[in-house]
Amino acid sequence: MTGQADPVAMKTLPFQRVLIANRGEIAVRILRACRDLGLETVAVFSDADAGAAHVRLADQAVRLGASSPAASYLNMDAILAAASATGADAVHPGYGFLAERAEFARRVVADGLVFIGPTADAIEALGDKLRARRLARDAGVPVVPGTLEPAAIERPDEVAALVEEAETIGFPLLVKAAAGGGGRGMRRVELPRDLPAALVDGSHEAAGAFGDGRVYLEREIVPARHIEVQLLGDSAGRVIALGERDCSLQRRHQKLVEEAPAPGLGAGERRALHAMAVAIGEAAGLTNAATAEFLRSPDGSFHFLEVNTRLQVEHGVTELVTGVDIVREQLLLAAGRALSDEAIAGSRRAADGHAIEVRISAEDPGHDFAPTPGLIRRWAMPSGDGIRVDTAAAAGERVPPEYDNLLAKLMVHAPNRAAAIDRLARALDETGIAGIQTTVPFHRFVAGHAGFRAGDLSTGWVAEHWHGPATAIEAGRLALLAAGLASLDGPTVADATAEDRQAGLDRVAAGGKLASSGGWARAALEAGTDRWPSR
Amino acid sequence: MAQPLNGRTGSAAPGVAPTSLAARRESATPTSATRASLAHGLLPQVEPIVVDRAAGRLRRDGAALDGVVMWLADATRARMTVGGIEHHVLLTPLPDPKRSAQGVTRVEIVLDGWRFEVDLESEAHARLRARATGGNGAAAKGGPLELRAIIPGRVVSVDVADGDTVEAGTRLLVIEAMKMQNELRAPRGGTIGRVAVGPGDRVELGDLLLVVE
Repeated sequence: MTGQADPVAMKTLPFQRVLIANRGEIAVRILRACRDLGLETVAVFSDADAGAAHVRLADQAVRLGASSPAASYLNMDAILAAASATGADAVHPGYGFLAERAEFARRVVADGLVFIGPTADAIEALGDKLRARRLARDAGVPVVPGTLEPAAIERPDEVAALVEEAETIGFPLLVKAAAGGGGRGMRRVELPRDLPAALVDGSHEAAGAFGDGRVYLEREIVPARHIEVQLLGDSAGRVIALGERDCSLQRRHQKLVEEAPAPGLGAGERRALHAMAVAIGEAAGLTNAATAEFLRSPDGSFHFLEVNTRLQVEHGVTELVTGVDIVREQLLLAAGRALSDEAIAGSRRAADGHAIEVRISAEDPGHDFAPTPGLIRRWAMPSGDGIRVDTAAAAGERVPPEYDNLLAKLMVHAPNRAAAIDRLARALDETGIAGIQTTVPFHRFVAGHAGFRAGDLSTGWVAEHWHGPATAIEAGRLALLAAGLASLDGPTVADATAEDRQAGLDRVAAGGKLASSGGWARAALEAGTDRWPSR
Repeated sequence: MAQPLNGRTGSAAPGVAPTSLAARRESATPTSATRASLAHGLLPQVEPIVVDRAAGRLRRDGAALDGVVMWLADATRARMTVGGIEHHVLLTPLPDPKRSAQGVTRVEIVLDGWRFEVDLESEAHARLRARATGGNGAAAKGGPLELRAIIPGRVVSVDVADGDTVEAGTRLLVIEAMKMQNELRAPRGGTIGRVAVGPGDRVELGDLLLVVE
């Protein structure tokens, strides 16, 4: 039985059965960490996920309701009822959904269950971005220049004072929501006269998204690098920084590519950044796992952005370069254990090599990353040394339109960044997905881009370098060539010059083995049956 | 062992007797050609390709295309080299009896991760069809215009009914996909000939939505 040989599991944990209040790849990830510790698992699912991987892999599964998030993964009553019905004694919220809802954490604890994450108080304190900024400032950590109090938008007489204050911050600036992130409630303002309207618009959107319309102002730092620090804290008040990640390649505040460690940081800079993050964690009484996000401006200075009091999507790249299983740490920390020796050692050691993650999502990079729900017809992921794929997708499964569309996290690990990029390119060559459009073409572009290889990262990178529609058109032309050629029998040479023709024929005659490139063996198609009807 | 090709470019399958290959070639009519075009009228900037099966040549806008080599690992996976650059190809047939009856074969091509649906039909047939519908769908004036879904989703609202007169730009319907609302607007003026969907309907890529006369 799993967990028998594990010295940790030999001593009884205060909980034995964990309910994973999430779905998709992260539910599978958490489930695996639980099983590795000998813990039983309970999955919850909506109708859309009835046959999903996390349901099949769990020891028990409970249907929550219809497919809409409100009826299922956001339905606290149904989730807590499932915990009660199955005898679960701990709940892991994953990321998204209820992970950063203090009310959920409180209800879990009130029901006598262990919440695998920071305390409800920490979630509440740090979930309020303004409170977090004030906390950071009080801890002596530089914050992104801006306001620390909500903008008094309901007071028209205050508008002039507001604009004046904004002038000292400097335009262009950002209006941001105090109660949440992901770009919602956010407005970019270039001119002072646009500020009042932006505040009202942003506030309305924030109220709709988070139930809280408070907004504040922040200077826009461009170009910036988005660098975040993984924090772990135990109940004794000890907080450590388990390395940092660079997540600069984003689009509309959705991350696409992440890596660890952050390229181009000096040892002193790195230490200072980690110390800042730890200071904030300590000031907030942070326990379990969280991530402190910063922006690094072109002059090299770091500015605190916010803290996410949850496990992050991209936690795997940190695991690869530190050798620490973060979800396992979360479970042990939630059990009241002190930070593990592995985690502490990991926080002190330099990163082991370099890791990069690309998010393969059901989105069309040729159409502004519009979602592409549908049926996955083929699904082949790379594997082998230095490759890690976290996914719950499979061929024959539908990508439901109700949830976020992350299909797989493809991670590579190599001794250095250049080798990691090479490995990423090779891994992407091995992916074979059909039936729906995914972000793979974008990631192939990144892996082959000289600027990316040189480490010229910034939050404006995607907008600056990626030209989706034009690239899609060129690919469309090539796709027609492929379809046309495939409609003929066997390998085809369509060449103009006699020399090309002969070279092609020689290659064909040799059975398709190209001496110079080391070989691409053509399977025997002697039966030669037409795949397409001949006309 | 090398198999002679009788001095023609085209395909050669080592192990296949030249006679059977020649027989296959002769069964194709001398003018036999296959047109490959992107399905659903997507990306109109991408011109169709004509595959001259007899000569083993590819043409776009009449001009022959050179330097294209494709190696098939099996019926569904290939590498294609164009101008010295290698591309990865996945091919998946998308059979449909209605389309077959119309002489059209549809295949899914994933090229370097870019997914397309490609329609293959005989060039003669394609020309006939273009004449019948008055041109390439969206660009045609005068003929009925079929508007099809370019994203899968759920019809949220339909703003017109049979017989309504519309102008270019009139909103026709709204499809919701993954929390985004996508408005379909009339590409030209005309009369609504037929509304094929209603609010609440789920549509897949390519489903008929409306016909504008």
